[in-house]
Amino acid sequence: MSKNIFKISVGYVITFLFIITINFFIPRFMPGDPFTYLSSDESGMNVTYSDEEMQKYKEYYGLNKPLGIQFVNYIRNVLKGNLGYSIILNDEVSKIIISRITWTLGIVIISIIISCFFGTLLGAVSAYNRNGLIDKIIYSVFMIISEVPAFIIALIFLFYFAAYLDIFPLSGGFKPFVEYESSFENITDIIHHGVLPAVSLSFINIGNFYILSRNSMIDILQKDYIITANAKGLNKSRIILRHALRNAILPIVTRIFLSLGTAIGGAVLIENVFKYPGLGTLMREAVFFRDYPLIQGIFLIMAVMVIIMNLTADIVYKKLDPRLK
Amino acid sequence: MRRILGILLTLLIIMNISACSNSNDDTKAIAEETVESNNDIIIRLAGGDWGFPSPYLHYSRGPGGFKMYLLFDSLLEKDENGIIPWIASEWRIENEGKDYIFTLNDNILWHDGEKLTPEDIKFTFDYYKQHPPVWNSLNVNGKYIVKNVEIIDETNLKIVVDSANATYLERLGKARILPKHIWKDVKDPKKFHSEKAAIGCGPYRFVEYNREQGAYKFEAFENYWGPKQRVKAIEWVPVSDEILAFEKGEIDTVSPSPDIIGRYEKDKGYAIKTNKGFWGYRLIFNMEKRSELKNINLRKAFAYGIDREEMVDKVSRGAAIAASMGYISKEHIWYNDNIQKYSYEPEKAKKFLKGKSYSFEILTGNKGAEIKIAELIKMTLKDIGIEIKIKSVDMKTRDAAVKNKEFEIALIGHGGWGSDPDSLREIYGTDTQEDGSPSSNSLPGYYNEKIIELSQKQMKELDKDKRKEIIYRLQELIAEEVPQIPLYNTRSYFVFRPLKYDGWMYTYDHHYPEHCKLSYLVREK
Amino acid sequence: MKKIIIYIRSASPIGKAAFLLLTAIIILSIFGSQLSRYPHDLSSGKSLEAPSKDHKLGTDDLGIDLWAQICNGARISMIISLGVATLACGIGSFIGIISGYKGGIIDYILMRFTDMVIVLPQLPTMIVLGAFFGPSIKNIIIVLSLFSWTRIARITRAKLLTIMEQDYIKIAKGYGASFKYIYLNHIQSQILPIIVLCFIKTTGKAIVAEASLSFLGLGDPTSKSWGLILNRAMDFNGIYFTPYWKWWVASPLIAIVLLVVSISLIGRELENKYDFKM
Repeated sequence: MSKNIFKISVGYVITFLFIITINFFIPRFMPGDPFTYLSSDESGMNVTYSDEEMQKYKEYYGLNKPLGIQFVNYIRNVLKGNLGYSIILNDEVSKIIISRITWTLGIVIISIIISCFFGTLLGAVSAYNRNGLIDKIIYSVFMIISEVPAFIIALIFLFYFAAYLDIFPLSGGFKPFVEYESSFENITDIIHHGVLPAVSLSFINIGNFYILSRNSMIDILQKDYIITANAKGLNKSRIILRHALRNAILPIVTRIFLSLGTAIGGAVLIENVFKYPGLGTLMREAVFFRDYPLIQGIFLIMAVMVIIMNLTADIVYKKLDPRLK
Repeated sequence: MRRILGILLTLLIIMNISACSNSNDDTKAIAEETVESNNDIIIRLAGGDWGFPSPYLHYSRGPGGFKMYLLFDSLLEKDENGIIPWIASEWRIENEGKDYIFTLNDNILWHDGEKLTPEDIKFTFDYYKQHPPVWNSLNVNGKYIVKNVEIIDETNLKIVVDSANATYLERLGKARILPKHIWKDVKDPKKFHSEKAAIGCGPYRFVEYNREQGAYKFEAFENYWGPKQRVKAIEWVPVSDEILAFEKGEIDTVSPSPDIIGRYEKDKGYAIKTNKGFWGYRLIFNMEKRSELKNINLRKAFAYGIDREEMVDKVSRGAAIAASMGYISKEHIWYNDNIQKYSYEPEKAKKFLKGKSYSFEILTGNKGAEIKIAELIKMTLKDIGIEIKIKSVDMKTRDAAVKNKEFEIALIGHGGWGSDPDSLREIYGTDTQEDGSPSSNSLPGYYNEKIIELSQKQMKELDKDKRKEIIYRLQELIAEEVPQIPLYNTRSYFVFRPLKYDGWMYTYDHHYPEHCKLSYLVREK
Repeated sequence: MKKIIIYIRSASPIGKAAFLLLTAIIILSIFGSQLSRYPHDLSSGKSLEAPSKDHKLGTDDLGIDLWAQICNGARISMIISLGVATLACGIGSFIGIISGYKGGIIDYILMRFTDMVIVLPQLPTMIVLGAFFGPSIKNIIIVLSLFSWTRIARITRAKLLTIMEQDYIKIAKGYGASFKYIYLNHIQSQILPIIVLCFIKTTGKAIVAEASLSFLGLGDPTSKSWGLILNRAMDFNGIYFTPYWKWWVASPLIAIVLLVVSISLIGRELENKYDFKM
């Protein structure tokens, strides 16, 4: 057992080193650098720096040193927990990331709850009515929905609910400068802004939960004790909820952790559709302006989150499943 | 199942109703706002994060610097026609353009109550030498232009510069003055995040900044020395969709696309201004890489073979003007209208080509408009026998390639077409290798002695009228030579509610009223 | 060919419909330029014309016929997705087979490597790589393939492990049969259906991934895929308030959805056929 854990953790450490390495080198090999501006956005402003000024800035940010030394410094700093200083935003990368990550995690977690709840529930309903009309309808709907890219669903939502019906805001995370009379209103406002992003994001995983729940329920429903319960004439929903679902919970819990990883990646796109103030929109900007420390910081945090989720999924799966012991 | 559907339906209906009642409230709110008395006006503008408004922390791109300008005053300011006195009530230029003597206004206070002294100004020019601010006007060709600052007495000081130069007055005049008592101990201004970093002596003082939301709040500074402020506070609020926010009354100005402008044209409650065409696209030839382009006839074929009016119509939807071939924007105060003009004449273009055919690669960014322009160029040039391949990369890649001269023809869009015509020298007329500014390298392989001579001459000419004459002559020459092709200048719309606030103005060199300090101050008639 | 027809005959109605749709899109992508009256890269009408007899799907802001763009976009999406699927299946199945066949330390190294790539957050990495490689169809195929082979490698390896457990393979190995012999005689026939299935699934995934990249503005702007048409339309200022979205946004959006759904339905159909869950 301990040998196994050792093997796994070595694997993760290697993965981490691998990520940190490409994380350092790829941004630096992209064409362009943070200080070269010749063009600007329409009606925007820009400054062009002379070579001397650029040299000064590079010195200031330590970008004039040989790449090897920069790399060693970078690793040293990361191990100390120092993610660097953003070039375009003029602030500590860790501070910037902390202010944004709650938004991303917020919609990610809510989306997982939505997809897990509805996916599992409908999966159970489907399994119970196996091969019936309801099952067939739900099944085909999910088959189609789970294949449609989430950002397209997000776009459709944006056009229909936000632009056409005007029920939800078009973008952003919350209303600015509004003095809320109570924290309740504040929360309502945040939820109001978060509904569309979270719901669209939940479509990434809902199909998986549905299939998983349906399959495991079908297995369980064929088990003897359920058949007995059925024969006893127990209430249908009671059977599903009390007996069957409880036993199907294991793969679903594991799935939750795995889904978190996918959802974090998927959030990048959804945030960009709704201009949601999370890490995804920041990431796009950072790449756009070649802000090396910021790109590295966001990338690292996302990768670490995914690794941790996968690790947890591994552990949880082993802990919960007695058969593996 | 049915029950769930029922619940969902009722929910939807409730949401619909609440949405409707919301919009009613909004119209009421607008009506109330318009009757507010002038002194209590709070202007709300579309926000966005452009950094903390200190001269060192705002972002180098975007309008962050203009927010900082509202907090910090400079020696001189600009109005519709030119440079006007500001902190300095008058100025003289002596010693053949090397000494600038400024007389300061009295009783200028910093936002924290301290008094501004000539010491502060001397300190500022010394400090900027050590720590260049984000928007740095005091470096020319990589060198700091101020030799030293001498305080003559309580109200007079002399700034000694390195050489006589027509642009120096503006350069010195727009450097933002820093309070010595705050900055003297700051070793690394890029990391000076304290709210003290936003203390200036400008008409508005800093109240709040929220980066995550891109929100700012400034209030009128009660003890301001200069013209009275017309608004009590300025707020920049994040908006999801500017049009929607404007119509709901969340913000007071908007720049809608021409397709939507019709919504505001007929309504008396709105007024529309057209922004000046000081932002534009141009096509740069790399004559080092493709020496065929040194042939003036080929360049003229380009000039006649590209339909710039079509671009204005299709890419900018009419909200633009075809640019002058002399580079200086048609709305610039020194634009020369009597120069060679090039309209779309494919037959003429063919004549210049003399039956030859060419093929080039155009490098563009990946923004929609740029690719559309490139596509239009490709379509029209195909007709006259020039084959175009479009290579599109992201903005930074393109900028780096242009800087390193790794392109054949590049399409680039940038602002500053309204600024001092010394830009002609930077683009067309640098003669030495000493110059390091990237924009000066942007016509690789092009060399014209006459243009260089005139460019250098205008730079040293301190007499305004004589200088203007040279600039006119330069535009003529450039238009005949076609060393590059200015394509078009955008003229976006600016819509506001005159009943609420109508102070919007344009300085002579800037395209956007929200950025101009005088837009928020009482103007003397 | 015959096999395919038999498969289609035996497919469910939904499967048949999906197959029909896919065929239609493939025809569109091959004969697109013949099927559209107007060129896909030259303006042929006024800006933003509503759909009419002349321009079946209307025009975009440059006056370029949208139907022609959709046809051309189909071609580009097809090229990219087939390219990615080929590359990814090639790499993936190769690594999977080697890993499963050899086992031991080679298996450990290859699988650790696969794990690493799986752990990378896909879209962020693609954004960074996309900017790094620069946009062109070739580079997009490479970037997308880098992420698509991992699943295939895992699946083929898993399948191979079960195959290797079979007695006849052990016996064949015992007799000193070469890898080539065992592969051709025993493995290939069993592994091929899985690879075909992976191929189809990867095509669908690649289309979505390419559309996502293009939508973020990281695609190849000169070869207009559906995602890019969508990106252009969304870039249009205040598109929500104009009627233009009804044709400009809707048509690429529907096209992407139809293609992706039909591919996935065919994938499901095959899964049921082979009774194999991925």
